[in-house]
Amino acid sequence: MSTTSIPVTIIAGFLGCGKTSLLNHLLANAKGRRLAALVNDFGALNIDSELIAAQNGNQISLANGCVCCSIGDDLTKALAEVMMQSTRPDHIVIEASGVADPARIAAFTQVDRDLRLDGIVTLVDATAHHLHADDPHLADNYHRQVTAAHFLLISKTDLVAEGTVQSLETTLQQAKPETPIAAIAHGQFDSDIILGLGVDAPHETPLSDAIRHDFRHWAGHMPAHVPRADVIAALATLAPNLLRAKGVLADDDGAYVLHYAGGQVTTSAFDGVPSGHFVLIGKPDLPNNEDLDALLKKQKECA
Amino acid sequence: MNKIYRAKSIITMNPNQPRATHIAVRDGHILAVGDASTIDQWQASWGEMDIDTQFADNTLLPGFVEGHSHMMEGLFWQYEYVGFYDREGPDGTVHAGLTSIDGVVARLRAINQAREDQTAPLIAWGFDPIFFEGRRMSKADLDGVSTECAVIVLHASLHILNTNSFVMDKAGVTAGDNNEHVRRDEDGQPSGEFLGQLGMYMAMRTTGLDLLGAAGSAQTLVNFANVARQTGVTTATDLANPLPEKDVETMRQTVNQDDFPMRLVVAFQGSGGDPEAGVAHIQGLQDKQSDKLRFSLVKLVADGSIQGFSARLKWPGYFNGADNGLWYIEPERLKDLVAAYNAAGIQIHIHTNGDECTEVALDAIEAALRAAPWADHRHTLQHCQMANRAQFKRMAKLGVGVNLFSNHLYYWGDAHISTTMGPERAARLDDAGGALAEGVPVAIHSDAPVTALAPLFTAWCAVNRRSSQGVQLGGDTEKLSVAQALRAITLGAAYSLRMDGEIGSLEVGKRADMAILADDPLSVDPEGLKDIDVCGTMVGGRVHMNAKPDA
Ligand SMILES: [Zn+2]
Repeated sequence: MSTTSIPVTIIAGFLGCGKTSLLNHLLANAKGRRLAALVNDFGALNIDSELIAAQNGNQISLANGCVCCSIGDDLTKALAEVMMQSTRPDHIVIEASGVADPARIAAFTQVDRDLRLDGIVTLVDATAHHLHADDPHLADNYHRQVTAAHFLLISKTDLVAEGTVQSLETTLQQAKPETPIAAIAHGQFDSDIILGLGVDAPHETPLSDAIRHDFRHWAGHMPAHVPRADVIAALATLAPNLLRAKGVLADDDGAYVLHYAGGQVTTSAFDGVPSGHFVLIGKPDLPNNEDLDALLKKQKECA
Repeated sequence: MNKIYRAKSIITMNPNQPRATHIAVRDGHILAVGDASTIDQWQASWGEMDIDTQFADNTLLPGFVEGHSHMMEGLFWQYEYVGFYDREGPDGTVHAGLTSIDGVVARLRAINQAREDQTAPLIAWGFDPIFFEGRRMSKADLDGVSTECAVIVLHASLHILNTNSFVMDKAGVTAGDNNEHVRRDEDGQPSGEFLGQLGMYMAMRTTGLDLLGAAGSAQTLVNFANVARQTGVTTATDLANPLPEKDVETMRQTVNQDDFPMRLVVAFQGSGGDPEAGVAHIQGLQDKQSDKLRFSLVKLVADGSIQGFSARLKWPGYFNGADNGLWYIEPERLKDLVAAYNAAGIQIHIHTNGDECTEVALDAIEAALRAAPWADHRHTLQHCQMANRAQFKRMAKLGVGVNLFSNHLYYWGDAHISTTMGPERAARLDDAGGALAEGVPVAIHSDAPVTALAPLFTAWCAVNRRSSQGVQLGGDTEKLSVAQALRAITLGAAYSLRMDGEIGSLEVGKRADMAILADDPLSVDPEGLKDIDVCGTMVGGRVHMNAKPDA
């Protein structure tokens, strides 16, 4: 993996769970990124013909610089073709088939220096969760998808009662306590978050500090000297509601960069003066700002 | 054009005239079948015909029909064969089996050193580590072949490949998470062995080659047909192919040549994408068919393989405790696909390996037939290796045929007993006897290039049910008789392709397609079935004798 590697986001979930709506949303809200979306079925995407700049064979080019590629029977070939084109995309989004194991797809990034995993987003259909989780033919697939996820999205929440969503959220949280969970309706979700999980991001990547509409954002300065174990312990208490965190701090072993994504903390030595700057992005259920200030022993307001 | 061939014996597969010695051929078809006493009558009615005695010492059978093979067989002969067993190439050369990893390395090193361009990728195929007592091939082994070019060794199963360091460095392989698709050495580092699509992706990215892309070059087709001819096959299948226009054109130009020694049935690969588009694609190909080239089927792949632990099994699952396999098509989507192709009147062949997958496929077919009844659909389950008697009964009721992967009994039988299925369920692996007893139309196949294309060997497997270690799987109820096995590799497979009206038996009016054998398979010891020499074939009345490699 190099710093110029292309991030790969995998969208998993069963047939009919809303992957296509989410893909449509991401393509329409790419925000300047040239996305390459590898999809199972063009037809289902239903791209507005006015947005199509060109279509040839297995590829549709959109006016905003994104392309859609049909996976057909062969993800290997579809992905290799995208990577062997003269202009490479900024970000690749792969629609996993309803019964694919997304972890296996993620492994592609391990055998290509030009790819890195950004994250696996698994959609769980609020209207059909029980059908999938209890189906003898599908239950194991369902659990594979949930287990592999770095971000769980409960989809079609507009079609079920509030209580259903809550109990589903509790079930998922018990199954995967460290993975952030959010609800999604009509396939709409902030593309910066979906495409910014940064599970395997090089540490140089700046964490966007835009405040997400539905999401909590906290930034501040930690004490110059904080043992990394203390920070990790503090973050663990936030785990289910925490999406990402990043800071440059120092302890007895020297300056370090701490990175939290996809439920995992990584630290690495930092060659420079630690700023103490620390950023969190999480769900609305994160503790309030005062509690976060206290937890992270915030020193002063961040500029 | 008119000729009477005299043979030592002719096995016709026509129940009303099972044996003959003379067969008259006109315009590519069979004009008459009989013996010395009927010739005068033929000449009186049909005119003077020469009597050709070149097959006087041979036994003639209907040309063999391989109902499940892949054109890739022809592609692979452009790579280097490094399998454990001897294998005969398209030119008749026998490529000696390699019985150690060092042997494989030594052969590839010699091939590389003899090459003009030693920087081009070196690709080998047919490697099978189950015979090497636990030692796995590593990147260090293949670095012994070359460090200056990509060296890639495909395993016989096609699910695994090995590479040298050159490939891994170029790809930038990272240790990554613990991942069952990147095999590790004792130090936890990637060993050079990659599973599933990962390996194929790496190969494609580092060499630009699609190793399994049978994309029908003329050379691939000719190699495929020549291997088929060597083994008595007159009709083979490519299951399946996306059938892009360019490849269809190459097929037409190659297969329709008079001297191309084989008929080819190509199934459209329908697993991915939209079934309406698939239906339209197949319909658009109907007027591009010929007597030698057919585009009549759609193939759907619903699960993985048993030896790769990716087949979907019913309880209690894999004998070694491995997780259940993977659906390659969602059960819901399989229903939609089957319904769409069935409603359009397109025959469907579904790859199912595990018994759970067979059940789901039968559910899909049953639902499709309820919605759009079709009396003679001949939908067929391919491989269908773990089907039980209840499933065969259901298949018989639904009119579903089966094409069983009998070669598995030999190649992976031991692994099925010890690791994948355990002894009881391994006993019913590829239960051709059970399927016939329940009234299911039966064919048997090689899945070439996964195993060697050789219908007499496939018949031997179904008759003897013996593994490579000599262990018998199941008992007499699972076995086929020699006569039943011969039917399965001729009329049985022809039926599964809806071609039994024109090929599969030697009867008046049918196409003059024959396998020319040195011995009579109904007279030899059933143990010796696989060793019968194939002298050549006749396809549409044209004789294609086998190449005899320079001694
Ligand atoms: Zn096959």
